Amino acid sequence: MMDPEGLKTLEHVDMTVRELLTEMKDTSEIIVDLAYASLMYNSENMAAKVHELEEEIKNLKYAIRYKALLSSRTKEDARQLSGLLQVASAADRIADAADDIVDLMELPLEKRPFVSAMLYESGEKIRATKVKPDSGMVGYTIGELAPEACTGCKIIAIKSRQGWVYDPEDDVKVRSNDDIIVRGTEDGFNCLLKYADGLQPWEFPEEQVEIRDETDDEAESLEERDNE
Amino acid sequence: MNDLETMLLELKDTSEFMVDLAYSSLLYNNTEIAEEVIFLSKTLDDLSARIQDTAVELGMSDPKEVERVVILTRLQWSILSIAEAATSIADVVLRGLGAHPVIALSIKESETTIAIGKVSADSVLAGKAFGHIRLSTISGMFVIALKRDRAYIFGPGRDTVIREGDVMIAKGPEEGVQYFKNLCDGSDKEI
Repeated sequence: MMDPEGLKTLEHVDMTVRELLTEMKDTSEIIVDLAYASLMYNSENMAAKVHELEEEIKNLKYAIRYKALLSSRTKEDARQLSGLLQVASAADRIADAADDIVDLMELPLEKRPFVSAMLYESGEKIRATKVKPDSGMVGYTIGELAPEACTGCKIIAIKSRQGWVYDPEDDVKVRSNDDIIVRGTEDGFNCLLKYADGLQPWEFPEEQVEIRDETDDEAESLEERDNE
Repeated sequence: MNDLETMLLELKDTSEFMVDLAYSSLLYNNTEIAEEVIFLSKTLDDLSARIQDTAVELGMSDPKEVERVVILTRLQWSILSIAEAATSIADVVLRGLGAHPVIALSIKESETTIAIGKVSADSVLAGKAFGHIRLSTISGMFVIALKRDRAYIFGPGRDTVIREGDVMIAKGPEEGVQYFKNLCDGSDKEI
């Protein structure tokens, strides 16, 4: 029998399996981008975030195993949950690899100048830019802008006067002179650059808002808008 | 960039693309996309072997290069590990274990989706360069890769010309998908 006290060593057991898997999938994607970006920009700070996320995904993995085992009642449950747990393990494995990539930073910088030059040439681009004061993005949250849907570029990190925020949540506001690090295609980055430079007003994804109307996420961002 | 770096970048781009495809195969419980991940993983075996050979040659030809080779090899291992993880996700779909409703729901939370379109002979896109048609501006869909004769072109540039028979894989909002597919198969000619 499991000691109920033992639960204290397991984090995140209050989350649902769906929430846990969503979190693991998102983390597994962002952590790889951040790992490469750490090397490209030689950022110790970003590398620390990668280590933190790797720890986090481990905790999520144990929590999802715990929840899945508890919820399995039938043979069909067990069959389907075995697939789900395999996906969770894969997400964890990706995070492990990202963590190893960041470990390359322990080598002195002069031994790896070519790494950042090489990564710069990658097909999947990681780029940094500054949001100009007259950009149409200023004052809006990432959730409102939905940059990935509009430009194909995902904002993986943002630096304001308060410091860096990695993998910014939807409620993070873009402010004048923020530095942003994005990931996407060259084409997408050029498109985003026009918006960030203020050369073109932001085109909001109106249809997207209607479609996501019923989700909790949307309800939250609507509330926020009411408050403003 | 030398050959080794070029090959390593190809490995990296492929691994990231595989992760994208693998999660998409889960979302749609789509074995066709999952098969594509497996196909890519096989091409990586070959690429990895070539990387290894080139690395050894480079290291033997010039001892000063050994340090660089070691760093690139470490990077290669991490990249391969990511590719293997993607393969194991695709494997879940191929085994018919990807149907758990929670899986699709978890993947769907993301604000973008992936669409695949094959360019038909009478598509308005055939014969045009990406810079010319501005596909991303008109449809919201960004082509992340293009499959031509069983080989992939990642992140096609403005000068890349689209050909009949190309399979385009694009990312974008759900609303852009139908228009994108219609443009590819030629049923919509308005751009």
